[in-house]
Amino acid sequence: MNDNFHVFSDGRIERTDDTIRLVREDGEKQYLPIERAEAIYLHGQVDYNTRLVSFLNEQGIAMHVFGWNDYYAGSIMPKRGQTSGQTVVAQVRAYDDPDHRLTIAKRFVDGSIHNMRANVSYYHNRDHDFTTALDTLDDRQAAIDDATDVNELMGVEAGARRAYYATFDDILPDDFAFRGRTYNPPDNETNSLISYANSLVYANTVSAIRATALDPTVSYLHEPGERRYSLSLDIADIFKPILADRVIFRLLNRRQLSTDDFESDLNGCLLTDDGRETFTRALEETLDQTVHHPTLDRNVSYQYLLRLEAYKLKKHLLTGEEYVPLRRWW
Amino acid sequence: MPYIIAVYDVDADRTHLFLKLFRRYLTHIQNSVLEGFITDGRLQRLRGEIEALLEPHESVLIYEVSSEDYVDRTVFGTDPKADDTFL
Repeated sequence: MNDNFHVFSDGRIERTDDTIRLVREDGEKQYLPIERAEAIYLHGQVDYNTRLVSFLNEQGIAMHVFGWNDYYAGSIMPKRGQTSGQTVVAQVRAYDDPDHRLTIAKRFVDGSIHNMRANVSYYHNRDHDFTTALDTLDDRQAAIDDATDVNELMGVEAGARRAYYATFDDILPDDFAFRGRTYNPPDNETNSLISYANSLVYANTVSAIRATALDPTVSYLHEPGERRYSLSLDIADIFKPILADRVIFRLLNRRQLSTDDFESDLNGCLLTDDGRETFTRALEETLDQTVHHPTLDRNVSYQYLLRLEAYKLKKHLLTGEEYVPLRRWW
Repeated sequence: MPYIIAVYDVDADRTHLFLKLFRRYLTHIQNSVLEGFITDGRLQRLRGEIEALLEPHESVLIYEVSSEDYVDRTVFGTDPKADDTFL
C-alpha cells in the first residue's frame, strides 16, 4: 500500500518515534504511519525542519508543496533509491537523437489525444453532439505521423487540446463557463480547477518516475532544462484527461463543487481550502480505482498505471521494445 | 492486502516501545490497540520486529482479516481512524 497523505491543516510536521506526526496549531497530534506513505502533500501552512527532511530522505518519501497561482510550488525529493547509469545514458542518447526523440514524443501525443478523445466520445454518446470536436481530434491524431520535428508536434497537440477544451463549456454546468485555458493565475473557476487538478497529476507522476531509475529532467516532448521535472510533464499529459478532467466533470456536474468553493480575489480565481480538499479526495478515490489490465491480466489501480508508464518508457530505452502509451481501453 | 488488528500486553514501562513500533505501520486506535491495512511484505517485516522486541512473559496478538470486504467495523463514539490520509 502506497498512500498519499494530504495535510490541509496548518501546523507542524515532525519526526517522532521513527515515524512522522502532525501537530496542529491547537496542539492536537496525529501520526502518519511512515511505512504506508508514498508521498506527503502539503496544502496548509506547515512548518518542518531538517530532521524531518533527512528522515523523509532516508525513507525515500517525497514531499510535494502546494501554494498559490497555479498551485504546485515544488517538491522535496529523496535521494534516488534506484540509480542506473545505463538508464540515464540511454535516456539522454534518445533525447539527443532527433529521430528517436521525435518517435517517443509522438507516442506521448498519441496517448494524450486518444485519452482526450475518449472523454469527448463519452459525452458525445450521452446527450451532446461533439461530431466536429471528434473530427478535429481524429484529424490531429492522424497528423501526428506527418510531424517532422518536435515543434510541429507541439502544434498538433495544441490544436487537439483547443478542440478538446472547446467541448468543456457544453459538458460543464452553465455557472462554470470556461472560455479557453488561462493560467498564471487562472482567471475563472474552471481554469482554476484544471490548474489544481493538473498540478496533482503532475506531482503524482513525479513520484511514479522516482520509482524508476529514469531522470525526471530529461524529457522528449517538452524541452528539458527548465526548473521543472519536464519528463513528468510529458507523462502527465497522457493522464490528465483520465485523472484530472474526468473528476472535474463529475464533481461539477454532480454539484459536489460549487462556485462557493472558489475565491476570486487579487487578479485571479483560486480554490478555497474546502474546495481543494473535496477535489483531492475525489482524485485519490480515482487513483485507488482499479481496471483490468489485458496484458498483465490482473487488476491495477490508476495510480499503478502511472508507474507502469514510467516502466514502459524505461524498458523501451533499455531494450528497444516498442513504447506504447496508455490509451484508455476501458 | 490483509487488514490487521494488533493488540499488545507488555510491561508498563515498555509499552512505548511497542506503540512506537506499531505506529510506523498502523493507526493507533486505543491504548495498546492499532489497526490498518498492511502489505504482506510489510506484515512479515513487522512480525520480525515484534519477535526481536518481545520479552518472555509479554504477548502481542495480531488478528488478520484476509480482505477489506470482511471488515465490518462498528464504532461507538468518535472514530480515531476516520480519514487517516487527510490531515
